[in-house]
Amino acid sequence: MNHQHRGPVVSRRTVLRGAGAVAAFGAAGVVGLRLRRATPPEPWDHAVFAPPGPAQVAILRAPSYDADLEGLLLDGLSVIGADVRGASVLLKPNMVEFDPGAAINTDPRLVAAAATALRRMGARRVVVGEAPGHRRDTGYVVRASGLRDALASVDAPFVDMNVAAASPVRTNSAYTRFGEIWLPQVVREADIIISMPKMKTHHWAAVTLSLKNCFGCLPGRVYGWPKNALHWQGIEPSILDIAGVVRPNYAIVDGITAMEGNGPIDGTAKHVGLVIVGDDPVATDATTATVMGFDPRRVPYITEAGRFLGQADLDRIAQRGEDVVGAVSPFAPAPGFDGVAAAY
Amino acid sequence: MDLERDLRRARNVDGGYGSVAGSSSEAEPTAMAAVALSDEDAVSWLLDAQRLDGSFGMQVGSVVADHTAVACLALPADDPRERALDHVERTVGANDPAGPGSPPYGWPWTDGAHGWIEPTSWGMLALLAGRPSSTSRINDGLAVLRTQECVGGGWNYGTRVGFGVVQSPFLQTTAIGTRAARDVDAGLTARGLEILERRWRDEAEGLLSISSAATVIGLLGGPSANAVRAAAESAYRSTELPDTIALCWTLFALEGRDPAAGVR
Repeated sequence: MNHQHRGPVVSRRTVLRGAGAVAAFGAAGVVGLRLRRATPPEPWDHAVFAPPGPAQVAILRAPSYDADLEGLLLDGLSVIGADVRGASVLLKPNMVEFDPGAAINTDPRLVAAAATALRRMGARRVVVGEAPGHRRDTGYVVRASGLRDALASVDAPFVDMNVAAASPVRTNSAYTRFGEIWLPQVVREADIIISMPKMKTHHWAAVTLSLKNCFGCLPGRVYGWPKNALHWQGIEPSILDIAGVVRPNYAIVDGITAMEGNGPIDGTAKHVGLVIVGDDPVATDATTATVMGFDPRRVPYITEAGRFLGQADLDRIAQRGEDVVGAVSPFAPAPGFDGVAAAY
Repeated sequence: MDLERDLRRARNVDGGYGSVAGSSSEAEPTAMAAVALSDEDAVSWLLDAQRLDGSFGMQVGSVVADHTAVACLALPADDPRERALDHVERTVGANDPAGPGSPPYGWPWTDGAHGWIEPTSWGMLALLAGRPSSTSRINDGLAVLRTQECVGGGWNYGTRVGFGVVQSPFLQTTAIGTRAARDVDAGLTARGLEILERRWRDEAEGLLSISSAATVIGLLGGPSANAVRAAAESAYRSTELPDTIALCWTLFALEGRDPAAGVR
């Protein structure tokens, strides 16, 4: 994978100290349903993660899925400086489940528009992949949701990552005891990975956005339906370790119709009319959480991700497009997460 | 037939089957293909892949995916199957991160995790076929099916009510749950069949869903048996690059066979 690196290159001494810290932390065995703040030592590999630098996020107004989404994404990706020329790109939408009439999934029209926009920007190949977490029958989810037809209309292939060829990869951080995760070849071979989540609340993690969406890269044939092994290690620690391996280069958040309340499955559809595009998944999630009326500093996994995975400090995220304050559309939080609401 | 040819595309030179053509051999697709195709080489692969503790599956880091129950159905009645059944008998789902929690436990997808409908169904089927004397574990699995049955019948992955919201059944998990209940609970079986009959048209686009439903409706002599079998064949004809498990279920459906009956 050709991941972007931000910030200064770390020294070899720092690399070795960081690697030792990872080993020590891993040996201690970190398990818990809630994220445990781990300072010190820092449970990530300093040889892999440069300190987060500035990031760019664009908030784009899109009144409906009938809008010119391809043009919108071309503008948004251009304004954040996305460069996909000659690259093999993997688009990872959120298709965890399908329920007719519910706002669970990244809308297939946005996924198809992203595929065409990226090709127009010079991508060599654009593939869409997902490993639905609740249903074993990916074919049903992809067909019933309309994703299959949408992708066929733009000649973009789909890979069922629940069954695709895969192999183990060492984690780059040790928030869980995984040590290794099983990762599809299509993820490992992509030059650029774009996480395309639905803008949703989540009843265990407050919000599910581009970082949490990385759960859907792991195959159910190893982790089950649902991927309960990830929950058992702690959702927030799992988000950090998995996103730290998948490492999306960009994020495109479907906030045209979003989900509030009891997400990620049984929440209420909410029209927001936004697509949020960023060159850093942590920055994109922090910005999106802000737009949802939440304080990203109160979402522990976003704060923790901001220490090594990307930029969570809103003051260091260059906001393009719509003004973030003007774009705020307060969401009903998931049950038990009233405390994440921003204080205005 | 084309279906068998397509299924054999996932067969590797080592005799095992991958989850799709071109992927390395794994226990679950190999066991299913061994039963579907009566493939002795696949059985040999399984025998070679059995772990010292009698289990079958994959270990990735700290996560151990357990497919022992499915493998039991493909093994001949001999010592390896007994050791596999021993493993199935002692494997339980956990309901609490700190320990096993309270019964019923069922069977998990991965060691140390919660019990869910599909692995619990396979655990029950393995014991019913190979060790029917294991009544406490069979009844434990049955208790999971009873407590997690969706309101009105059938099953999803294993959540009856989530955060106060009644959850709907899925076709695929209702099929395997109904098959597991067939010989042990007439009421669950009847309600499962009713859900399959009511919902199969809604999920006919999914090959795995419609094929597993067709298999079980056929085994139970449901009134839609012929129609749903035709729908499964249609789904097969229109599905690009189906995976090994879905193809196995399609073969069971079209040939009217029971996946729990073992290798012929």
